[in-house]
Amino acid sequence: MPSNQVELLRGTLDMLILNALALAPLHGLGVSQRIEQVTRGTFQVKPGSLFPALHRMEERGWLKSSWGESENNRRAKYYELTRAGRRQLETETRRWKQISVAVGRALEANS
Amino acid sequence: MKWLSLARSFLRNLFRRAQVEQALEEEVSSYTELLVAENMKRGMTEREARREARLEMVGPSQLREQARNARTGAWLTAFWQDLRHGFRVLRKNPVFTLASVLTFAIGIGANTTIFSMVNGLLLRPIPVSGSERLTYLVQRRDHWRNSFSYPDFEDIRRNAGKTFSNLAAVRIFQMEGLNIEGKSQTIWTEYVTTNFFSMLELRPALGSLIAPTENVAGSDPVMVLSHSYWKTHLGADPNICGRKATLNGRAVTIIGVAPEGFRGVTPVFETQGYLPIGAYGLMQGQHGKDLLTERTGDGVLVFGRLADGVSLENSQSALAVIARRLAEQNPESGKNLLLSAHFLGGGFLSPNGANPLRVVTALFFVLSGLLLLLASANVANLLLVRAITRNREMAIRSALGAVRVRLIRQVLIETMLLGITGCIGGAILGAAGSRLISGLPIQSDLPIVFDFSFDWRVFAYAFSAALLLALASGLVPALRAARVNLNDALREGSRGYSSPRQRLRAVLVTAQVGGSLMLLIVAGLFVRSMQNVEHTDLGFDTNHVVNFGIDSHTAGYDEVRGREFDRQLLERIRAIPGVEFASVAATVPMGPEILGSALKIEGYQEPAGQPKPAAEMNAVSSGYFSTMRIPIVRGRDILDSDTEGSQRVALVNELMAQTYWAGQDPIGRTFVRMDDPEHTWKVIGVVKNNRSQLLGPILPAFYAPMAQNYRSRQTLQVRTSSPTAAATKMIMEVVHSFEPAMPVFDVRTMTQSLNTPDGFMLFRLAAAIASSFGLMGLVLAVIGVYGVVSYSAAQRTHEIGIRIALGARRSQVLRTVLRQGVVIVLFGSALGIATAIAAARLVGSFLVGVSAVDPATYVGVSLLLAAIALLASFIPAFRATRVDPMLALRYE
Repeated sequence: MPSNQVELLRGTLDMLILNALALAPLHGLGVSQRIEQVTRGTFQVKPGSLFPALHRMEERGWLKSSWGESENNRRAKYYELTRAGRRQLETETRRWKQISVAVGRALEANS
Repeated sequence: MKWLSLARSFLRNLFRRAQVEQALEEEVSSYTELLVAENMKRGMTEREARREARLEMVGPSQLREQARNARTGAWLTAFWQDLRHGFRVLRKNPVFTLASVLTFAIGIGANTTIFSMVNGLLLRPIPVSGSERLTYLVQRRDHWRNSFSYPDFEDIRRNAGKTFSNLAAVRIFQMEGLNIEGKSQTIWTEYVTTNFFSMLELRPALGSLIAPTENVAGSDPVMVLSHSYWKTHLGADPNICGRKATLNGRAVTIIGVAPEGFRGVTPVFETQGYLPIGAYGLMQGQHGKDLLTERTGDGVLVFGRLADGVSLENSQSALAVIARRLAEQNPESGKNLLLSAHFLGGGFLSPNGANPLRVVTALFFVLSGLLLLLASANVANLLLVRAITRNREMAIRSALGAVRVRLIRQVLIETMLLGITGCIGGAILGAAGSRLISGLPIQSDLPIVFDFSFDWRVFAYAFSAALLLALASGLVPALRAARVNLNDALREGSRGYSSPRQRLRAVLVTAQVGGSLMLLIVAGLFVRSMQNVEHTDLGFDTNHVVNFGIDSHTAGYDEVRGREFDRQLLERIRAIPGVEFASVAATVPMGPEILGSALKIEGYQEPAGQPKPAAEMNAVSSGYFSTMRIPIVRGRDILDSDTEGSQRVALVNELMAQTYWAGQDPIGRTFVRMDDPEHTWKVIGVVKNNRSQLLGPILPAFYAPMAQNYRSRQTLQVRTSSPTAAATKMIMEVVHSFEPAMPVFDVRTMTQSLNTPDGFMLFRLAAAIASSFGLMGLVLAVIGVYGVVSYSAAQRTHEIGIRIALGARRSQVLRTVLRQGVVIVLFGSALGIATAIAAARLVGSFLVGVSAVDPATYVGVSLLLAAIALLASFIPAFRATRVDPMLALRYE
């Protein structure tokens, strides 16, 4: 996979995770399910990319985690957005909108 | 904020690793449980749910590895792990580790030694502040030279304006006798203009240096000593300043000691004392007076410090202007005059700015570079060999989630560890080597000092050589090691028979055998050349002869007293028991100088196209031919009765007799020296030809009585029947009690005297260096061949076991294994001979009496290498035949 594509995907994944956590704290599986749900199955985040992303974002101070009880009474690690995380989500969202508008225009210009 | 958070995580990852790992493990297992629960909620049985979850998770350990890699500071943790792992691996394979470290050490050691020579001879600036702005001047009249007459120097200095902040003149190398409180010894002095030390911006170690304001007239001349002379000859006497002493019998005052490490502006030669040039006439008597006034002379070297902001190019144009102005002032001597400046740099004052030592050092640099290449091939080979044993380890690690970069890095880190260890070993070896070369006894009449001590340049070189070596030898094996085919490697213990890896190794070892054969052949040629030189028939007998340097001038004698001194001294020496013969001579064979003269010979007219008659000359006392055992073929010896007042007489060598009086009796014939037309010399005898210099043809030569051709600088030569050491001591005592003010210098046996830079020394040095390279190359080649053959034999243990079980005879097995070694040696030898022919052409001009393609050397050395290499492959082959088929088959 060429590196620029990885970059794009990584940025997108970060934004999707931040977005999934915007409403309420979730555990890992919850994040993955929420992303699948809101993108209507377009993105399925496997644990292989989910864990590194969650840990990376926590180390950057965008997320914080705590252990809690899941809906069916199992111990699970919950992630929630920090203030820096919210700011990051806003930045990412703005940037994403700019890109999608720009790309949309570019595609229209050719059709 | 973000950085703070990252830093916190970094520290936690580093110091709370167990905790972080624990949390990760729990998180992964909780995720799995949640997933299972989720699946069961969707109606799966627990079994199905678990299976589904495992598929989704791929592998928990790989998952954890991926999460680990995302952590801050992951590289550091990984690096630390790799390092520790590397150490463990190296410790567990002592043979491999030792072989590689040794290889590294040999390669780097040899290179460091050579580099320390290059550094000492070419790179290291003289220890003077701002040495990069110091220059020396050269002039061209009919050819370029670095010497000037003193009046010319003064004219240049007057006209130099603001180009140089200082211009100083130096009269180099006078050997003189220094007498302090009754103790006399020789000292090599330079006479310098009074601005010399201020130009160099030097501060005294003791007392004061010659100051620009020094007034030469009036009181005794002042003298500054070098630090090392002060230390070694005067016991570092702290009260030396202000001390009165005599130099060549004339009073001087010692005012100070130059800073430590400063050896003068002509490195390699060590200047031991400095006097103001204004005192030259006073100190040197009649022939010194002219130095400061004679415009046709060329007695001084000129050094200048470029003024601030003036580049070397600027100075050249300024010098061109000065040269024109000088030409106007002195149309006679200034015609065609050109001036130029060169940077002093390492200190060689060659007239064209090039360094004559460059060729020789470049040659050895090439050889040592080749050795480095061989070493790198060797380590690469060992690593490749080991890569095979590690196939399984690599496969397991990559199955557990290690990425390829990590595996490559692992191998490179191990190589670097080897490199660093080897670098330390190499630096130690190199230091020993350069100390060995620095300390070689140089039988030179000049105070030569080789300072090849290590400085930051040498260490930087050694380190970068090690780094380069490690990278060069580690990269390919690392890339290969990381290219693991999981399936193959895990299914079976690696038992690859003839993989590309094997072939690469065989090629490497072949190249190695070739390279070291080349080194050995070059070494062989140098050794043969040295043997030829040493077995040259010199025409005299060096055994049991001791030489003593004396110079009556250094005790303040004039010519008349000097002659009388010679006569009485010889009388006393000959009276010592155990002394067979004693004589004095102006020059000794293989010495630094040869006297000679153009001649006018009675009754001889040179044939058209032949050069005008000329001959070498030596001035000797009676007894010389007996001392040296040069047979007198006809006529009589020089006698004590041949004095200054009697008829000038000479003995000639056979070649001179044949050349100028062919077919006639030379006895009674006469000739005139062109540089002394007043006297006619009469031939009284003929002696056998003998060599005054090692190389080149023997020339016509004649011997005049010392009394008729006096020279104060002489060598006293004594043939003893008793052991030379005891006799030497007695002779020294006799000289000293006879004239305490006379320093005796360069005391050595005639055999030692031959080992001068003009004699055997360079040949021995070249042979020694080339041989040690050859030897190191041989060691590397043996390690290489042994490694490859024994490894492939070990690889084939299984196969060999089957063969033996199926009834193969041991001799057949031996042949099979040995075959690889034979092929390597055959191809390697061919390669080595081919490259040696090319290399030998380069060194051809350094060889004496042996052709660059000398068949005996080539064949002999090739056979030697082949025998040793085959032996190295025979040992593992023999071991292979001892394989117990049952064990071999059960193995794995």
